[in-house]
Amino acid sequence: MHEPPYPTELKPYGKALLDLARRREDVLCLSGDLTRQCEIDLFQAELPERFIHGGMAEANMMGVAGGLARCGHIPFVHTFGVFATRRPFDQIANAIAYPNLPVRIIGFMPGVSTPGGPSHQAIDDIALMRALPNMTVIDVADAVEVRQVVEAIVDVPGPVYVRLKRGEIPVIFDEEHVLNLDRAEVLTEGTDVALFASGMMPAPALSAARVLGEHGVSVSVVNVPVIKPLDTVTVQGVAAEAKVVLTAENHSVIGGLGSAVAETIAEAGLGRPLRRIGLQDTFAEGSLSGPYLFEKYGLSTRSLIEAAWAALGRPGVAPAVPVSVVETGEYSPV
Amino acid sequence: MSERSLAELARRIKLDALEMIAIRGFGYLGQALSAGEQFAVLFGSAMRHGQDRFVLSPGHYAVVYYAAAAELGLLDREALAGYGDDGALLEAISTERTPGLDLTCGSLGQGLSGAIGLALADRLSGEDRRTFAFLSDGEMEEGQVWEAAMFAAHHRMSRLTVLLDANNSQVDGPVDSITTIEPVADKWEAFGWHVIDLDGHDLDAVADGLAAADAECDRPSVLVCRTSTVHGLDCLPPDADGHFIKLPPELATAAVAELTRKLESIHA
Repeated sequence: MHEPPYPTELKPYGKALLDLARRREDVLCLSGDLTRQCEIDLFQAELPERFIHGGMAEANMMGVAGGLARCGHIPFVHTFGVFATRRPFDQIANAIAYPNLPVRIIGFMPGVSTPGGPSHQAIDDIALMRALPNMTVIDVADAVEVRQVVEAIVDVPGPVYVRLKRGEIPVIFDEEHVLNLDRAEVLTEGTDVALFASGMMPAPALSAARVLGEHGVSVSVVNVPVIKPLDTVTVQGVAAEAKVVLTAENHSVIGGLGSAVAETIAEAGLGRPLRRIGLQDTFAEGSLSGPYLFEKYGLSTRSLIEAAWAALGRPGVAPAVPVSVVETGEYSPV
Repeated sequence: MSERSLAELARRIKLDALEMIAIRGFGYLGQALSAGEQFAVLFGSAMRHGQDRFVLSPGHYAVVYYAAAAELGLLDREALAGYGDDGALLEAISTERTPGLDLTCGSLGQGLSGAIGLALADRLSGEDRRTFAFLSDGEMEEGQVWEAAMFAAHHRMSRLTVLLDANNSQVDGPVDSITTIEPVADKWEAFGWHVIDLDGHDLDAVADGLAAADAECDRPSVLVCRTSTVHGLDCLPPDADGHFIKLPPELATAAVAELTRKLESIHA
């Protein structure tokens, strides 16, 4: 693994999808009027005959994708996460999830990574997609996983929802890293805190674990890219070895990773204190930047450290986060 | 199929649907009475079975499809008696396990989008197929229908044909008392469609409309089929519910007798 500040890549998804489509004739690319924003201008330029403009009509686009999938195509449908899930929910349920069709719904701009206001912030996309039978739900951590997720999902028999960060994508893992859809991955091992994180949150989780480790708190950080179906074996195993359990997600704490972990440890009878880091049942307003919102709504490294400190009942003030200097083209979690 | 046999098929479809609904004492009879002729012409004549595609957007019209499919030997007649019963194959609102349909929806307004997906796939593969999408007029209240209508016209999907059952009926009453959807033909025309406005109970008109749609090579076509949910069944009370009718035993018996008599009159 790299150390922060992390190097970054541009358009790892767009490049990977094009690479896949060159080899796979059955892959189609649909866009909901957000082509460059979803990195699929690369696909459009090289394979225009397999690129379909859905326009600003997500309900229709999901229905069309379902029809195409019934005929043997594998449609990758692209828009922002809010418009990919909340808006056409009934269409996804009836035209894609119920018939269990291989449509890949790719929702960009997860959670509060955008200052675009509540209308543009996908804070419930995972909860919505997770509630649908047959749906696989994925939130990957870095550019290495983004590159691999395209190939990993293409032959999943049913529908898949993937949420992806826009813009500069950090490179956290080494090239040898393998994204496994069946397994959550233990990144660090510890006995005090089990910290499960997905999407943009493994980065601050690793930073928090480093600081906590320096203050005598050992943390298991587990990267959970697949929220459904959840790797319950790993979740139970790691939670059982820890005193307290934390979850961290760039999403509402209702219905996403935190809920999935809570259900798992409760059903296993583990009885560990649980703290869910995420949006605390609120919409997020007022910002120029995503990092500001991560601080304001408790998604920062500091929030993770404070939650662990409090859950363990440690006395005094939680340790502070060292200030990191980030150059252009680098990424460091808030 | 001859005109006489299409007329017989339409009446058999209505009688079969009536008998399925009579067993339960309630159901979607108005839809069979309004759409029987459209299903007769489409399934009995225009559609190339095994080649063309059929999408049933309003899933509660399944009873009409079941009747047509049974009459044409596409579905085991025995299954009709279980229509809508617990554990039955033929559910009152069609599902993914309904046999024979390329695509169906229970959540209204979604069928045209799915039909477009099928037709786009045929265009990509270069296969010679027509896609027929059956819609009800009430579905025009759903915004998705217009998203789909714009998309199909933009992509010049001339192999796509919509049969729109304009029976002026929805759950809360006549469509025109709930939302003004007229001018229906002008709306589809404005969205870029080839529109044929016709009497949906006139077998020749429906057949001619489907032929005209086949001949159109630049635009998708819509047949606006003007129909009535009480067509051809005089014993129904004037205030009969067009969407979901209650059919007590005496009325059911009278209705079966009337439709049986009318069917036999074709042979007379």
